[in-house]
Amino acid sequence: MDKKYGVYICTGCGIGESLEIEALSQAAQEEGFPVKTHPFLCGSDGVALLKGEIDSGINTLVIAACSRRVNFDTFRFPGCIVDRVNLREGVVWSHPRSAFPALTEEEKADPEKFDRVQMMAEDYLKMGMARVKKVTLPEPYKLDNFTRKILVIGGGITGMSAALDAAAAGYQVTIVEKEPQLGGHANDWRKQLPLKYPYETLIPPIVEQKIAAVTDHPLITVRTETVVARIAGEPGNFIVTFKKPGEKIEFDVPFPLPDEMKVDEKGKELDAEQLHAKFLEYNQGKQDILTLDPNGEPFGAVILAAGWRPDEPDKEALSHLGYGEIPDVITNAQFEQIAKRGQIVRPSDGKSAKSVVFIQSPGKGKDADFDYAGAVTSLVALKQAKYVREDYPQDGKAFVFYQHMRTPGLSEGFYKSIQQDPGIFLTKGEVVQVSKNGQGLTVTAENTLLGEKVTLSADMVVLAAGMVPATKDDPVVNLAYRQGPGFRDNAIFNEYADSNYICFPYETQRTGIYAAGAIRRALTVEESMEDAAGAALKAIQCLESVNRGVSVHPRSGDMTFPDFFFQRCTQCKRCTEECPFGALDDDAKGTPKPNPARCRRCGTCMGACPERIIGFADYNIDSIGSMVKAIGVPSEDDYSEPPLRILGLVCENDAYPALDMAGINGLSYSADVRIIPVRCLGSVNVIWIKDALSQGMDGVFLLGCRYGDDYQCHFIKGSELADIRMKKIGDALASLALENERVAQFEVAIDDYDKLPKIINEFVESIEAMGPNPFKGF
Amino acid sequence: MADTYRIEPDMNFIQELGKMGGQDLKKCFQCATCSVACPISPDTKPFPRKEMIAASWGLKDKLLADPDIWLCHNCGDCSTLCPRGAKPGDALAAIRSLAVMDYATPKALAKAVREPKMLPILFAIPAAIFLVVGLVLKLFGVHWLNFGIAEDFVWQAQYINNYLVDIIMLPTAGFAAAVFALGLKRFLADIHQNALAEGRTDKEKIDPFGFLKALGRILPTVLKHEKFNDCSENRERSTSHMMVLFGFIGLFIVTNCFFLAEWVFHIEGPYSQINPVKWLANAGGVALIIGSLLLIKNRLAKKDQASGYWDWYLVGLVLALGLTGLLTEMSRLGGFAGLSVFIYILHLMCIWCLFAYTPFSKLAHLVYRTTAMAYNEYIERT
Repeated sequence: MDKKYGVYICTGCGIGESLEIEALSQAAQEEGFPVKTHPFLCGSDGVALLKGEIDSGINTLVIAACSRRVNFDTFRFPGCIVDRVNLREGVVWSHPRSAFPALTEEEKADPEKFDRVQMMAEDYLKMGMARVKKVTLPEPYKLDNFTRKILVIGGGITGMSAALDAAAAGYQVTIVEKEPQLGGHANDWRKQLPLKYPYETLIPPIVEQKIAAVTDHPLITVRTETVVARIAGEPGNFIVTFKKPGEKIEFDVPFPLPDEMKVDEKGKELDAEQLHAKFLEYNQGKQDILTLDPNGEPFGAVILAAGWRPDEPDKEALSHLGYGEIPDVITNAQFEQIAKRGQIVRPSDGKSAKSVVFIQSPGKGKDADFDYAGAVTSLVALKQAKYVREDYPQDGKAFVFYQHMRTPGLSEGFYKSIQQDPGIFLTKGEVVQVSKNGQGLTVTAENTLLGEKVTLSADMVVLAAGMVPATKDDPVVNLAYRQGPGFRDNAIFNEYADSNYICFPYETQRTGIYAAGAIRRALTVEESMEDAAGAALKAIQCLESVNRGVSVHPRSGDMTFPDFFFQRCTQCKRCTEECPFGALDDDAKGTPKPNPARCRRCGTCMGACPERIIGFADYNIDSIGSMVKAIGVPSEDDYSEPPLRILGLVCENDAYPALDMAGINGLSYSADVRIIPVRCLGSVNVIWIKDALSQGMDGVFLLGCRYGDDYQCHFIKGSELADIRMKKIGDALASLALENERVAQFEVAIDDYDKLPKIINEFVESIEAMGPNPFKGF
Repeated sequence: MADTYRIEPDMNFIQELGKMGGQDLKKCFQCATCSVACPISPDTKPFPRKEMIAASWGLKDKLLADPDIWLCHNCGDCSTLCPRGAKPGDALAAIRSLAVMDYATPKALAKAVREPKMLPILFAIPAAIFLVVGLVLKLFGVHWLNFGIAEDFVWQAQYINNYLVDIIMLPTAGFAAAVFALGLKRFLADIHQNALAEGRTDKEKIDPFGFLKALGRILPTVLKHEKFNDCSENRERSTSHMMVLFGFIGLFIVTNCFFLAEWVFHIEGPYSQINPVKWLANAGGVALIIGSLLLIKNRLAKKDQASGYWDWYLVGLVLALGLTGLLTEMSRLGGFAGLSVFIYILHLMCIWCLFAYTPFSKLAHLVYRTTAMAYNEYIERT
């Protein structure tokens, strides 16, 4: 495409009052860009102006106005490259003239005086112009083979609901279930929690209705006694091999080499070909991941509803509760089995259990519930307490000792109805001991609502054990991905199949695979059905994005994808290993094989690549590098006291909006920083930082999402990877004789906007204290 | 550290509480808004939060031996602010009513007093006693009960002699005092044991002198209705309740004066309207009527507060006492002999019921509340 440039400066919203538009226009003209200004660019007049320009042949527009996060649709012109220079939130609102006064006429005549805010605006404009020179219009990645069929793994309540929801939207669905019949755990329950207002009474399990609906649906195929041997390929064209449970076949998924096998006897790392040979040996009898099963079935997206198993708590850790020693101390799952068989009786002697204590927390001084528990374990305790009352309406008693009684949403109605039962007794408290007392049990609790220490006699004790996600024991999805068959970072999520607790429900760490139900969190039937609908919609979204060659959430609609310049690849495998979504499968030589439909376009591969051969059409090493180079770095040749120049590489997901919010709220920060938004801190290539410092900039900071336990990274590991890379940058800085502290990384949440000015200003002050970069002016 | 408490829920007790107005108490989710809202709850271990869970759990033993249930004056602030509609005020009233029943003997009488169907029989008892005692005395030539119409009607004592009234009323009062004594003995023992178990006091035994001193200290609080006045929701009840209390105190003094006049000085009535004792008598009667009418009006207006037979029995009796007393006097002064005597008979029946059934009725709070307040004062409850 022959680029025809145009710069359009909006003077509305305070931009015109604050900045010298003439000087700004001149800065653009010096670069050879024609400039037009307009007092209200986003109004119909302004848009008409832009449209007229486009009609006259302009196809590359630099719009210097508000943040790119607003008026997105107004300034979207298909077929054109558009750059948004953030003069409003990023310059004039966050740097008001009250705090950063403009130069007076006398000061203007003084060559030693400069206007920091005007400098900032001119830099941003130059950066925008530099960028549009280096980017191209993206072309979508289209799959050769594409299918809309959806695979549901797991035929329990969640899987069946997801299948019904997807089928109702017109999609063909196949359910695989490892057991001989559909239904999962719901088949084994006496009763189920209510699903409808007023949420007061237990209902018969709805699993049979679901099974009938699934069986009758023309778009749903059910394969029982079947598991997934492997899923190869990418969304829109997954090639799935099925097998019988326990069977060994050549298309069973191979497992990656464990770390200790990746080195030779002397502890030296093996090269790519040796590794591959070892990998084949380790997975003997199995085909490599890149070999496609000719008999595999194509699916476009996968809904993972493999569910849970009842947790078997650690007997040693629960010896104070008698678990494992006293036969009448059982888990909620065992209690449900007894209830399903008939009247509630004691496992030890088969006699009626008329006084049952339900314990919700293991205690020992902590208030945590049992592992893998949740609101559902609270509700199940209430449900099972009701069983005791149903079986013994005259003298049955059920006691619930809890640290947390969670009955979210309308299930509060159920809690209220249970409270009204004269034979059900609820209290917060810590059970400290369960001991045998003749035929029965004695339960001792402390810190209860009834007083300091209480005891009571019971026939049976039930522990609120949690629901262990199937992904804890087994990869289940068996992906033929180089990173391995399962989800790599489930440890962050307590082994649940998730990718971000807060913002992205149903999404897993693998594009095209959406988790629902108890695999994602301990859930009730009602919550699982809601989950199923969510995951079904996510799967549909994925299909309807992949077919157009665009990204799914969080960069929904992004048409770019990573492009590799393979001639210069050194097979270092960093991209394959660091990709948070396992999008890359390297071959026997170690050369990465991209699977663009698996990619979420975060750019972590680009940040990782030491050869800088990975880039996107509109976001690459050169485009950002050119922006860095476009920043004016005044030296002592220009002024006797030149201002500092500090580069901020800011994650566009949370940190950049937070900066905009700071501007909207009139919070100001140093005018010596220059902000460049990045897709994720994971995409930050250290070359940009080296470039910035070697051209004389005084410091660089990275602003991104939190990582670790309470992580908020939109791409799972981006900010964590960036942190590791920044720690390693020390050597490079030392070779330039620069202090490590010139490069820093800060973590913020989107609502931390009020803290940003302080973070930035303190960093600027610390750089000031260090003094200017000695490379300035070279 | 307090001893371990052994939980033995009494489901029957929960159901009984429900019948007495505590039907919503299981809605409590222990947020303790009630304890915060209550203007008279103590700072440590405040009520009614702990009473609410004890009631939901059917811990009868714990509740009956809990003096705090008597500290509550049922002003209703807690019920108004309760986010769950558990009505702690009504729950405590129900607990008190069951406590009265539990500490009273004989149980059959206690049951009868809270049973509307038994009311006619309960009221027939004094009539029968007067008739039987009067007739038996007649056999021995003592004509304290006369059926013939006197030629010159002076007052109703011509028909029902004051000595007859006194020899019946005195043992009745003695019976009530004995029932109370038995109940109080157990009550004090229970609350003391409970306080020891919960670590609220370290005094091994109750020292009678110290206890009486504590009682002396709280009496002004009771008389001035200081606790009542702290309530915001139901404050107007304080005045009416005070009128009834002082009405009774006045009439108690009057009764004693006339008793002395009759038995010691043998001064026969009726007494002159300018006699100061008579003034007090009339004022007391009027206070009873106005006070009880206000209490009734208040109860009728309060739709969100439970009012049952238990409550209506007492206010009804108070009103009946005042009305029959004053009407007897007025009809006597008007010279309506028959009417006056008839109303007097009703009045005597009311008085007898008041005496005999007090330990079993809501009026027992007079004794238990005062005792509980004195006890808490004694153990220096904060």
